[in-house]
Order: sequence, then structure tokens, then C-alpha cells
Amino acid sequence: MLRQDINELLTRTGPGTAMGELFRQYWIPALLAEELPENDCPPVRVKLLSERLIAFRDTDGRYGLMDEFCAHRGASLWFGRNEEGGLRCAYHGWKYDVTGQCVEVPSEPEDGNFCANVRLRAYPLIKVGDILWTHMGDPAKRPEPPEFEFARVPADQAYSSKRWQESNWLQALEGGIDSSHVSWLHKSGLRDDPLFKGSKGNDYNLGDMKPFFEVVDADGGLFVGARRNAEEGSYYWRITPWVMPSFTMVPPRGDHPVHGHFWVPIDDENCWVYSFDYHPVRPLSDTELQAMRDGYGVHNKYVPGTYRPLQNKDNDYLMDRDAQRRGESFSGIWGIAIQDASLQESMGPIVDRSKERLVSADAGIIKARQKLRRAALALRDEGVTPPGVDTAHQRVRSAAIVLPQQESFLDACRDAVTVRVGQRQVSV
Amino acid sequence: MRPILANSCAAAATTAEARYRLPILPQATWRSSRVVALDPAAAEVVRRVAAQPWASATFYTLAGTVGTGTAGTGTAGTGTAGTGTAGVLYTLDDAPYALAEVLPGADLAVLVATSDSGAAMAAAIGAECRTRSIMTAGLIIGEGPDRVVSALRPYARVLMVTRDEQDVAEILTALRA
Repeated sequence: MLRQDINELLTRTGPGTAMGELFRQYWIPALLAEELPENDCPPVRVKLLSERLIAFRDTDGRYGLMDEFCAHRGASLWFGRNEEGGLRCAYHGWKYDVTGQCVEVPSEPEDGNFCANVRLRAYPLIKVGDILWTHMGDPAKRPEPPEFEFARVPADQAYSSKRWQESNWLQALEGGIDSSHVSWLHKSGLRDDPLFKGSKGNDYNLGDMKPFFEVVDADGGLFVGARRNAEEGSYYWRITPWVMPSFTMVPPRGDHPVHGHFWVPIDDENCWVYSFDYHPVRPLSDTELQAMRDGYGVHNKYVPGTYRPLQNKDNDYLMDRDAQRRGESFSGIWGIAIQDASLQESMGPIVDRSKERLVSADAGIIKARQKLRRAALALRDEGVTPPGVDTAHQRVRSAAIVLPQQESFLDACRDAVTVRVGQRQVSV
Repeated sequence: MRPILANSCAAAATTAEARYRLPILPQATWRSSRVVALDPAAAEVVRRVAAQPWASATFYTLAGTVGTGTAGTGTAGTGTAGTGTAGVLYTLDDAPYALAEVLPGADLAVLVATSDSGAAMAAAIGAECRTRSIMTAGLIIGEGPDRVVSALRPYARVLMVTRDEQDVAEILTALRA
């Protein structure tokens, strides 16, 4: 249960809100790099943290992210022409460069000062990995670029996708922290999904449907250990890192690529779910890449030409009651990503947490909410830089391991949950 | 595929409409909880938490006098305790109760520790909770204690190792104690 005023604080991320200001301390994913594939390509509308923006890549390959609307009369620059080093409004020809600076107003004298005094709000847009990241906060407090391992390995070792989720960002994130649902909702995926199946860990996962949890503070967020019975005298641990504000990783299975998510608010009722796979020491195989493109693992299929999932709330996620009845799928919905999305969207655009009934297995979620609230208030009231901004906090990994029963998961796994360049993930 | 009709579609027009839920039945809103401090410093934490309003939480320590670190004598408050310090808990006003008196009717037991001194009792309470099918959570404040973590691990569905004593209140609030 969460008081309504705290729920409001955590779920509202527009300009001037406490949580919105928290998000603006970080580099966050703004687009996939594939959305701006070449110089002078069509601009892309981007809504982030309730701000409507336009992204483009100019003639020299520079990325820009700025106010979507022309300073003249408010027309959308999405209709504009991306040409000769800037984005030109289709209405009256005003032109802007990647910094938002107006560089040409055709109706004004060429040597006048008018356009020098016109500038759109703009944010930096940088490519790290196959994602374009932005920082929407105070330029004077701009952190170092992100250091998450998935974005730092060689290009052939990683794959990222994104999907539109029609819910507030927090209920999506909470699904990434809560690993107790995996044995239920995703049980068919553990058997059948080409990016999940075949690991010994899956047998432990499916053999013990009542995991125990240990939640441990980390500098950048939390480590959540889910413990299941393994062989006599040992436990199978799955360790999920959460880095504030919204980065989570799924514990690995066998030698499959490691996957995880970034949950980014579009506005208060929608979010982008960035989903990634990477392998720390080897290129992804053609088979793995094809499976990702086909929507397996943490990825999904799309309505053609969009980032909206093919299975969405307008078609009841193409639920197959017969498959559910036959036991092929616990929820009757195909694919791990949309199994999550269907239930999280079913909670409503912003779930009313004052009515929920948490259990002790939800301790990770409880603690994450508390850390977010604390950090947002400390930033607002005292200017304290929140956890997760420091790039050292971002060098974490998920892990899966079998340990003797008496061992503490974090003591035994300090190395396993830390990025070690050139070393493979710890996995079962 | 069958068509999805407007009246059965998951889509909702507004956040307010989507938020609407049938009223919660009043008897289901709280959870009968027992909070036990496993060492003197934890008792101080628990005393502060207990000062807040709770629907159905009761608070206990292992020692008769908070902060002394001395175990109580086990004098029975109700005439049925006195089974020895290993089986006795004390309310915050020092009334002793046998563990067997404290646990009946509980939905949730939250054990709070800041050191390893209460490890043996942690295991005893955890085992009793498991026998009685009481959901058990352990909160360890600070990263030092490890024997108490090991003692609780077989019994506590959740163990939280935290730097923040306010997590005790957070957990109790979230679980409707």
C-alpha cells in the first residue's frame, strides 16, 4: 500500500515535478539510433517526460533534440525539411540548427539580428551503443555519458529494441524488479523461448514456485536476490540489479545473452520500454539476432512501421484462450514482453497503489519506491545528487548462481554483479 | 478471431475511469503483525516505529528493559510465560509473554536486527513462525550482521539488508500492519 500523495509524487514526471526533476539528472534513452539512420534523414517526434520534442540528424551527422514547435507560430517541425545543416519549418521557412538556434528567418532582412535572438529549448543527444541518449537537466550538472555494459560492448555483441507501453513508467519498472512472477507468468517461455530455454537454472526456476527474497542496498539502487531450492544443501540464486531511476537487468540463463530494460516516461500515462540483449564476451549469433528481431525473449513483434506492439490492448493482446487452457501459455498471451505489458497495462494508466495488497515478497518494490521518494525529495529540498548518476553505479551485472545454503548471495557474488570487461557473465 | 466489443475492451477513456475499483472490504484492509527487535539497538528502532499509529501491529523486544542488553527474567505477565528467555518476548512496557502467546493470530512477523546478538532467538522465532505458517520478514539494519542473516535465511520469506532504519516503518506501512 502506498499513500496517494506518494503515488502522485512517484508517478508524475513532467517539468517541475519532483520525480521529473529526478529523471532530468540522468542520461536517459531518447531514441534508438536506427530511428535517425543517416544524415539529413526525416526528423522524429519524441515525447519524453511530458515534453514534446523533435530529434534530427543534420547534414554533418550531428544529432539534435529540441522543442518540437517552431518559435514563430507553433507549427510542428516534424513537417519540416532537414537540409543543409538544419531543420526548416515547412510553414514559413524558419530554420534551426541542432542546438535549437534559429539560423534563418526568410521574411527578415538577411543581415538583421532577429533570428540570433530566437532559440528553441534543446537538449544534447549522444550515441552510446545503439541508443541515442539525452540529458534534460541543468547543463552545469551534466554527468558523464552512461557506462551501462550493454551500451559499451562492441556493436556485434548487443541488440536493443523499444516498445510503447500504455502505462505509467513506475508500474512497468516494478515488473522488472519483481522476479517472483517469472515462474508463473513466463513459465512457458522458460520451456520454449529460444533466448531462455535450455538452461539448468530453468529447472530450478520451475521446480520451486515459492522463492525467498533478499534485498540489499547498493550505491546506485538495489540488488534483489531470489532464492530457490537447488540440489541438497544448496540454493539457486537469481540476482537482479536495479540502478536508479529505471534500469534493471534480468539474471542470465546458461550462455544465452544477458537482457534487461530501461523504463522511460513518455508522459504520465505512457512509457518507452527499451529492451536489450548483450553478451559480454562474444558476438550475438545470427540465430540469436533473428530470434530477437522476431520478438522472442524480452523483445516483441510490432505493428508494421511503428514501435507499438502488434499485440496491444486494442486487440486484447491476441490472447489465445485455447493455448491457455492447454497449458502452452500460462496467460494465453504470446511472448514474455507482452505477457508483462498486458498485465501492467491492465492495472490502468496510473495504478492506484493505495488499494494494493502487497506481500513480503514485494519487499524489493517497497524498497525501490522508498529510495525513489527519498532521492526525489533530497534533490528537491537539498539539491542532493541522486544515486545512479555516478557512472560507477552503472557498472553492474545480473547473475545466476548455485551457492551452499549458508552463503550470503552478495558476499559470494560481489565480482559476479560487477562489470568485468572481457569476462563472461556468471550464469547457470 | 472474435471481435472485441467496446464494452469488453481493456481500453479505458481516462485515468480516473481506469483507476476505479470496487470498494475494498473493510475486514481485509490490515494485517495482524508482530514486530520483534532482536537486539538492544533494534529495540530502540522498534520503539520509535511503535510510536507511529498502526492498525494491528504489536511490538516486542527480547530484553525486559530496552537498551540494557540484559535479557528479562521471564516472569510471566499472563501466568503462562516464564519458559526461559529463549521463549519470552517483552512488550515495550516490559510485560513478558511467551512466544507461544504472542504468535497466535498473527499474519506477519517482522524481525529487526542490528547485530548478531539475537541470532539464536531469530532462528527460534523463525522456526515457530514456519510451524504456524506465519509470513516472516527479516530487516537487518547495517551490513555487519551475518550470523543473524544466516539464522533467518531458512525461515524469512524476505530478508532486507538496509542502511536505513526507516525501512521498518516502510515495510509495515506497505504491508498494512
